[in-house]
Amino acid sequence: MAVPLRFRLNHEDVEIHVHDPAATLLDLLRGDLGLTGTKSGCAIGYCGACTVIVDGEAVPACLQMVGLLEGREVRTVEDLAGPGGLDPVQDAFVTCAGMQCGFCTPGHVMAVRALLDRDPDPGEEELRRTVDGNYCRCTGYVKILDSAREAVALERARAQEVR
Amino acid sequence: MSTAHASAGRAAAADAPQAPVAPELSLDRAVLPPVIGTAVQRVDAVEKVTGRSAFAGDVRIPRMLHGAVVRSPHAHARIVSVDTTLAERLPGVHAVVTGADTARIKWGAFRPDLYPLALDRVRYVGDEVAAVAATDPETARRAAELIRVEYEVLPAVLTLDEALAEGAPLVHDDAVGNLAHEFGYDRGGADAWFERSDVIVEGVWQTTRQWHGSIETIGCTAEWSQDRVTLWVNTQTPFLARQRYATALGLPLRAVRVVQTEVGGGFGGKSGDDNTSVICAILARKSGRPVQLVNTREEEFLAGRPRIPMRYRVRLGFTSDGLVTAKDIDLIADNGAYTGKAQAVLGAATVRHDALFNYRAVRAHSRLIYTNLVPTGAFRGFGNPSADWAVGQAWDLAAARLGIEPPDLFLLNAVEAGSVSAHNHRISSCELKQCIRRAAEAIGWYEKRAAPTPNRGLAMGVSVHVSGRRSFGDYDGSSAMVRLTEDGRAAVIVGEGEIGTGARTTLAQITAAELGLAVADVTVSRPDTDLTTHALGALASRVTYVAGNAVRRAAKHACEQLLGAASRQLGRPAAELWVEDGMVHAPPAAGEDTPVHVPVGVVVRAELYRPNGQPIVGIGSFDNPSEFPDQARFGNESGAYNFVAEAAEVEVDPATGAVTVLELAAAVDCGTVLNPPLAQGQVEGAIAQGLGMAITERFDWADGAPTRPNFVDYKLPTAGVMPTLHVEFADSYEPTGPYGAKGVGEIALDPVPSIVASAVADAVGVRIHELPITAEKIYWGIHRPEPGAPGAADDPAEFPEQGNPR
Repeated sequence: MAVPLRFRLNHEDVEIHVHDPAATLLDLLRGDLGLTGTKSGCAIGYCGACTVIVDGEAVPACLQMVGLLEGREVRTVEDLAGPGGLDPVQDAFVTCAGMQCGFCTPGHVMAVRALLDRDPDPGEEELRRTVDGNYCRCTGYVKILDSAREAVALERARAQEVR
Repeated sequence: MSTAHASAGRAAAADAPQAPVAPELSLDRAVLPPVIGTAVQRVDAVEKVTGRSAFAGDVRIPRMLHGAVVRSPHAHARIVSVDTTLAERLPGVHAVVTGADTARIKWGAFRPDLYPLALDRVRYVGDEVAAVAATDPETARRAAELIRVEYEVLPAVLTLDEALAEGAPLVHDDAVGNLAHEFGYDRGGADAWFERSDVIVEGVWQTTRQWHGSIETIGCTAEWSQDRVTLWVNTQTPFLARQRYATALGLPLRAVRVVQTEVGGGFGGKSGDDNTSVICAILARKSGRPVQLVNTREEEFLAGRPRIPMRYRVRLGFTSDGLVTAKDIDLIADNGAYTGKAQAVLGAATVRHDALFNYRAVRAHSRLIYTNLVPTGAFRGFGNPSADWAVGQAWDLAAARLGIEPPDLFLLNAVEAGSVSAHNHRISSCELKQCIRRAAEAIGWYEKRAAPTPNRGLAMGVSVHVSGRRSFGDYDGSSAMVRLTEDGRAAVIVGEGEIGTGARTTLAQITAAELGLAVADVTVSRPDTDLTTHALGALASRVTYVAGNAVRRAAKHACEQLLGAASRQLGRPAAELWVEDGMVHAPPAAGEDTPVHVPVGVVVRAELYRPNGQPIVGIGSFDNPSEFPDQARFGNESGAYNFVAEAAEVEVDPATGAVTVLELAAAVDCGTVLNPPLAQGQVEGAIAQGLGMAITERFDWADGAPTRPNFVDYKLPTAGVMPTLHVEFADSYEPTGPYGAKGVGEIALDPVPSIVASAVADAVGVRIHELPITAEKIYWGIHRPEPGAPGAADDPAEFPEQGNPR
């Protein structure tokens, strides 16, 4: 029996019926909702490729049961870039060549985005801990860390522009 | 977006406008175009950060079904019966297939021994037995679980020693002694040179299975149209894969089209030796609908094609003043249940290392042995990291015995430009000695030696790699077309593809340089076996060197046509014209005082829009100036060799055996660096993978399979385990490379396990003989160093029966 579910997804209200409340947000996003920017790397919450932001927290979408999303706010990588261009975090990854194959990139971008939402001026330790939570098999992390640092700088610059 | 521009055409304009095919030297190194050697932004960067890149699992086709595979739970068994009745009855299931639905043809890159779905026997835990296509992945998985397979379990061989034992069960009935492949040679008379040696070192070293661990797993989407199937696959090698898939499907080549999706990491693991795409095509045929089949992470571990475990017995001879005399290796490699490219890997793992030092004599005996374990195959380094680890350990022992610091010993014996190995490796450019000096300097070798820190150790290793390798017949070439568009851009049509390294960006740079266009005005195609040029794809560090040359020639050819057209349109000799910043330029005509500038697109359009108008399409090709090695692996396998020296400092906690790699310096000779951040990324990523192979990556095994085949048990290196890296590029220029460039994709991985092991030995006196170098092995090396214990002793003791797979 289908259960009604209402939540916010990328700043829009979503109302759907789910057959299995234990289904994962990852399968919902990539399946019925057609948002394939969120990637599946391990399906057990370990690699970070499916990182999305739920109520401000970076979480692996493969562990998030859809039945627990009622009334919550979900952001995926599709929400970051707008008509005004890329999000500062995305800009930073582009500038610093913080990707190779790009499969883990949306997850890394969302993890850094969630960190900056929580703390716009994180220290080096905080950046390292965040990047350490997501696997990348291509880069050796050097340029991902560079990107995370650059994201902090770009975020700061953009905040000053707004002021 | 990049605004880098280049000028082109001044020199080319004088040449006849035809496709150049003869070998040529690159431009003088002093006049590299500005777009070469600069940090041009990746052409696909925005797609990747926004999640818009379409990887294998992102393909969506109307009416598409999802597949799931039933795999053997046994290492070796006879299939008694397969009952698919319950699965077929499950609502949402559209096709169930078994071996009976296949063409019953064995396939494989070199030694066909693999069925698409098992017919009567399974040979490893993970072997494909049946498959299902259903409306969604969950239903497909549920249906797969409803398939009842009755097995009669057979005795299995789960280690090299079991496989080699007298009377051992045979993995394949036609492989006597479980021998899949064997070769050997004695070049230069090894025995005589050992007799004349003052110092001889010897030992046994073994590697273990390492998985590619691409974050994207292998996947395919198949759709039939009448009697043709299109496969959208995340393969590194679309054209080679097509050949094999057609064989496996029992189809003529023309019935299979392969299109490359975005590829989420390759490292050799997506080079078309596994059954996933074949099964996907069979499901799509039977269901009459498009089918997508993507490996789970567990399947990637159970049925991928990981690095081949290799056991080397190494013997090296030296004169008392440190000149190497002879090298003798006896190599046994664990093929697993099916062969794939392991046979070719065995070749590289045996001979390549001999192109590194001036050996007087080299002898080898190499065997590839079937076991009832997951099949092995190509993995970044292609045998080289295993050779570098085993032979590198012997070199490190020799340095200690000779009382010569490793960098100095390497400098005494290293090859140079002009060197020729016993196997006819002809070294053109070579800055190995520069690399050794720079790596030593970068890590502060002599300063650290002068003031040693307790429990810290220092080590150096070197390696050589190819830029393309003649493996699949007597051709290692590439070809390309460059079409100039009437809106002033260049569309490069080439079948090599992109697996994440940035190949499409460097090929765009080369095109931009030759045509005087902005990189942003160049597009590079994805491989499509119906539409693009034939290409061998991303393997053997070949794309920059081989395809770079082909694309450069195609762009030159297009430029010549462009200037010819502009010459006719402007009534000026072509030799007076050149292209820069997207415009064709000419100096003021006689009697005029303003120069002429015409946009490229205007010239192209004018050439087309006239009676009998012509498109501008340049073609170019390049074949690696190499030789197809013979059965005993004699032959110059590549036209250009790249080199590296790496030094590491580690710290060992003697109380626990835990090792921390503090610092790692890499000095790489890859010729001209076309795009520094991309080249650095190759080196940094390769080092990370090498550290995984050295330290973190292993499984616990039971009954022929990893007990928990997932990322929790199998630890890829994270940001937290990365040491401080110093990455440098040698001042180097390869005369046959595009703008002097050579390959760089694999080289930096090769020495890592060896230098970590040597640095541990330097720190605490424990030399590990089997990868990975775990805290446990080091601890027992320190605290219980009797013979046979893990990590015990520098003696060439018999290989200890420990580690995995058990």
